Amino acid sequence: MSAAHEPTPHITQEQADEYAIGALEPEIAALITLHAEDCARCRALVVSSQRVASSFGLATPIRPAPPHLKRRVMSSAGIRRFGPLWTVMRFTPAAAAAAAIVVAVASFTGMVSLRGQVSDLRDDNATLGAQLKDALSQKIEIAVISERLQDSEQAAAELEQAAQSDRDLLVALLSPGSEVAELVRFDDGTSAVGRLVWDPEQRRVWFVANRLPPPAQGETYQIWLNSAGRFVSLGTFTPDSTGFARHESLVPEGLKTYDGAVITIERAGGAIERSGPSVFVADLSNLKRER
Amino acid sequence: MVAVVNRDEAAFAVLYDRYVDLVYSASVRVLADSQLAEDATQDIFVRLWRRPEAFVADRGCFVSWLMSVVRNRSVDELRSRGRRQKREGTPGSETQEAALLMLPAEGDDPLRAAQVHEDQRLVRRALVDLPADQRTALELAYFGGLTQQEIAIQLGEPLGTVKTRIRLGMQKLRRALQDKV
Repeated sequence: MSAAHEPTPHITQEQADEYAIGALEPEIAALITLHAEDCARCRALVVSSQRVASSFGLATPIRPAPPHLKRRVMSSAGIRRFGPLWTVMRFTPAAAAAAAIVVAVASFTGMVSLRGQVSDLRDDNATLGAQLKDALSQKIEIAVISERLQDSEQAAAELEQAAQSDRDLLVALLSPGSEVAELVRFDDGTSAVGRLVWDPEQRRVWFVANRLPPPAQGETYQIWLNSAGRFVSLGTFTPDSTGFARHESLVPEGLKTYDGAVITIERAGGAIERSGPSVFVADLSNLKRER
Repeated sequence: MVAVVNRDEAAFAVLYDRYVDLVYSASVRVLADSQLAEDATQDIFVRLWRRPEAFVADRGCFVSWLMSVVRNRSVDELRSRGRRQKREGTPGSETQEAALLMLPAEGDDPLRAAQVHEDQRLVRRALVDLPADQRTALELAYFGGLTQQEIAIQLGEPLGTVKTRIRLGMQKLRRALQDKV
């Protein structure tokens, strides 16, 4: 790694402070997050720095949250402590018991109007009907929430996959055999930066870049390996909304020489042969080779 | 938090009442938009209910962890909308305003509420005592979501100067807050 602020296997206090205050480039911060998950020493450093950084949040002028926000949060969390279903299950036996007592008293004393009793029971019945309807609505809402939970689980699985890819990249960065090649920009009108991380043991290469402008509609970025003048595609990629891009690929079997790498802009879906304008180029002639 | 892990709804409601104003306020500070801050606050608490195990007690105190979550979530929202918050007022004026806007935590523990207020007072004092250039660099990073490179560009200063200000500012804060909060 060439940049001074990129993390070493054990991060420094300064790096932990920069991470905690949020001043690091997102991809570097992501590497520290991954490393701190597995390294107790660095995690303690990060936690200590986060405690200091949290003072900014704690010192924020307090504004009361709007009252309706609690209902939104509880509803989204699926928390119903006193919902209509609970009321129905509590109320129904009590209503039945109350009606039985009224009828018994009237038959003994003869003082209660039967018409009035029927009217009361009709009112109770209408109330129970409305509550049962609410319970059905709640059941539908629970089904919707269950579906959202499934979506969340799927999103979590995708995040886990991305995290695994991040870990693989970190392992490559930490491996003594890996090498990093800096990508040189063609267009100085952008502030994009990029690196290639090469793991010769696994024959895997990662491309990482930041502040890449999005390609035009119908276009994509494509990475090529220059092997003795022949350009071999390593795949296509698009940056995310922040301009960050990461692409991982295996070096094709049978390639013994790789003199350079180039990133170009091609039509969407990628090109069979390199034809578009170049964005980055890297000299790989000094990387280790297979013997 | 142990109760929340055990799906205790009442405990979650207490947690919400205790911290929602702090979470919402910090989010408003970053996003400068009350509606976006509401959305972010809702997202944070719902995630906390669904995945309370994300906070592990042996990895620091809950409030520090919560502030980190609030800050990161709010900055992610800021970056996804491609905006940069315009700073309004000076850091000093906000600190003075804060002294007027400290509200008691609702209900459950007056001693705890007093401790929270004392912590806030100490923290604000530590921030006021920072040199202005260090405080500015730290606030641009923490609330503005700017990287060191972006801060250097915005301030028209060399990157090394910005890194030094951040390092010295965090050192001063660490010394001022050690064993006090």
